[in-house]
Amino acid sequence: MQQKILEIKNLNKSYGEITALANFSLNLEKGEVLGLLGPNGAGKTTLISVLSGTLRDFTGTVAFMGQDLFGDRRLRNRIGIVPQEMAFYEDLGALENLMFWGGLYDIPEKELKKRALELLAVVELGGRSKEPIKKFSGGMKRRLNIAIGLIHRPELLLLDEPTVGIDVQAKVSILDIIRGLGQQGTSVVFTTHQLAEVEQSCTRIAIMDKGAILAEGTLAELIRIVGEKEIVEVSGEFSADAFSAIIQQSAADGMEILSVADNQAHLAFADSERIPAMMQHLFQHHLPIADLKIKSPNLEAVFLKMTGRSLRD
Amino acid sequence: MSRTTLIIRNDLKRRLRAPMATILFLVIPLAMTALIGMIFDPGSGGETKLPPIKLLLVDQDKGLAAKFLVGAFDQKELKEMFQVTMVDAAAGEKLMKKGKASAMLVIPEHFSDDLAEQKVSTLEVVKNPAEEFLPGVAEEFANTMAVGLSAIAQVFADELKVIKSASKLELEAISIAQMTPLLEMARVKIIALKSYLSPLLLQMKTSTTAKSPKGTGAAAQPDTTAAPKGFNIFSYIMPGMLIMFLLFIVEAFMREIQNERADGKIRRMMFSPLTTRELITARLFSGWLLGVLVCSLAMAAGTLLFGIDWGNLLLVFLLVVASCFWCAAFFGMLNAFFKNKNQAGAFASPIILVFAAFGGSMLPLEQIPQSMRWIAQFTVNNWFIMGCREIVEGGVPYLSFIVLSVSGLVFAGVAMVALQRRLST
Repeated sequence: MQQKILEIKNLNKSYGEITALANFSLNLEKGEVLGLLGPNGAGKTTLISVLSGTLRDFTGTVAFMGQDLFGDRRLRNRIGIVPQEMAFYEDLGALENLMFWGGLYDIPEKELKKRALELLAVVELGGRSKEPIKKFSGGMKRRLNIAIGLIHRPELLLLDEPTVGIDVQAKVSILDIIRGLGQQGTSVVFTTHQLAEVEQSCTRIAIMDKGAILAEGTLAELIRIVGEKEIVEVSGEFSADAFSAIIQQSAADGMEILSVADNQAHLAFADSERIPAMMQHLFQHHLPIADLKIKSPNLEAVFLKMTGRSLRD
Repeated sequence: MSRTTLIIRNDLKRRLRAPMATILFLVIPLAMTALIGMIFDPGSGGETKLPPIKLLLVDQDKGLAAKFLVGAFDQKELKEMFQVTMVDAAAGEKLMKKGKASAMLVIPEHFSDDLAEQKVSTLEVVKNPAEEFLPGVAEEFANTMAVGLSAIAQVFADELKVIKSASKLELEAISIAQMTPLLEMARVKIIALKSYLSPLLLQMKTSTTAKSPKGTGAAAQPDTTAAPKGFNIFSYIMPGMLIMFLLFIVEAFMREIQNERADGKIRRMMFSPLTTRELITARLFSGWLLGVLVCSLAMAAGTLLFGIDWGNLLLVFLLVVASCFWCAAFFGMLNAFFKNKNQAGAFASPIILVFAAFGGSMLPLEQIPQSMRWIAQFTVNNWFIMGCREIVEGGVPYLSFIVLSVSGLVFAGVAMVALQRRLST
């Protein structure tokens, strides 16, 4: 039986009238890399803030290795956090930053330096350890941000959108690091709104919206939610109401409406042979369609099915 | 190394790594001190000469003592210092109203007789309110002269009576032949007195801010405790400039808390075993230490560049320590109530400028309207400037120490409680 690292039960948190977390529950096992996927405002950062102890007025329980996470401050020594912001001192060097942040965990200086150099090599910054960080590129800064979160060898690492604002190459490098952490036995919770990132790096995925988990499982398990259906993305200059009215008339067996918005709609077909008939129906009603894409079942389709909207919305 | 020490070391290391802002705040008060000081003395480096003081002299007595007093302005040193114009009372008043002179010295009627008869007489100094330093110097000079003349009158009372009885007539009515023996006697006395008067005349130059009453009594007692020193205008200006820029330095440093909240550093710190109490203690200490270092450096530079004598260095250091503690605690407290760095930035500068305006950094306290002077008591500027002056004058600024330490402790306490709340939400 796998060891349970994190157990979140019925977490609720509101900002006035806005509900950020609504009965949020989640489990994480040792070595698992959990991708928490959700659009902006889904509650991902609120969850990380609650777990990191910077948000207090919430209800629910969070257990780390079976103990109340907020009951004993020493438990924090076993958890690492990588905030969305570049939370380090840009006027210092990478090594100096690691020594400072590691120092807060009471790690002996000699051991700390060894660990810092080791981490700099992992995040490919070994050759620039003494250079002021303000000279680093966005990707280098993101990698350092992760290294700081790992300085005290945490058993659980919380990453809040660690790939925001960086180029593809840097993104690939960071995703490799995250995958590697899971393989070494570190549990990771990784929030993002990039579907490809979780597909590439996570062993388990949770889809989150409006403060709650809508679905969770491995990529294969989630895709089974939409089944072995072909996904059709229809784009054009139409309103959501007009599209809905027309498509309802041709509703056929095996066709499922995943999402309808102004200018774009997603449909799922169990039988791909029905797609031409549906297209003909749309053209007959003079719906101004500009583009049509047929896709294999993927995480995006799952997300559309679960939330009724695209991640980009 | 404790976590508190680690943060303090990190803060100071970062300041040293990017010192421009701190250097700028160090240089600006020195530059402003130099600039303002040079307005008064474009050429000198250290001890400053004042520009000639335009003095109107009204002699309503015309007696021997009055002539002696008027004649004193013909001495070489006083000739350089004072540009004297003899006027009558009405003309003098008109000129003063027009601001044509720094001060007017009125020698009253019967001044010579009163002195000879050991009666109290009053020299009146009318100051030009538009000027700060020069009328003060004139007033102090008059005070010194009054002290000197009082001493002469008391020590040589018998001789003066002889002179007076020999000159019952108006001086102008006496022939040269009649005057000669009297003048000879007077000359002998004046020569004898010269050695007593000269130090007093030299002391006049050393006077700084005059606090004597408007009318200076001839029977006033000399201040025997004040050590003779050169009047250095920079030492008058620099404490005010220094405390104003110290406020800016410490405020900018304490505002880092807001930046660190915004960019996630605080969140990251709070996730480590570091407690909010440790963090706030470290930040208050760092702000205080930075202030003490910068202030000490600026004061040393002030001594080297402008020849400022700060007085008892231990007392000055303690005053700096207390003032910097006040600044760190005050801005620590304010940052607990500001929601973000923009709000902190928007409020802090006006607060500092109000402190500077009413606390004596921009204007000498004496220039601030009487009805608004009470505000100064709530500013660190006032207590620092007054403390510096008191130390220079040889005193111990107990009140400054007490006010700065006690209010600093109160602010630090509030900062500790309020910032803990702010940082944990």
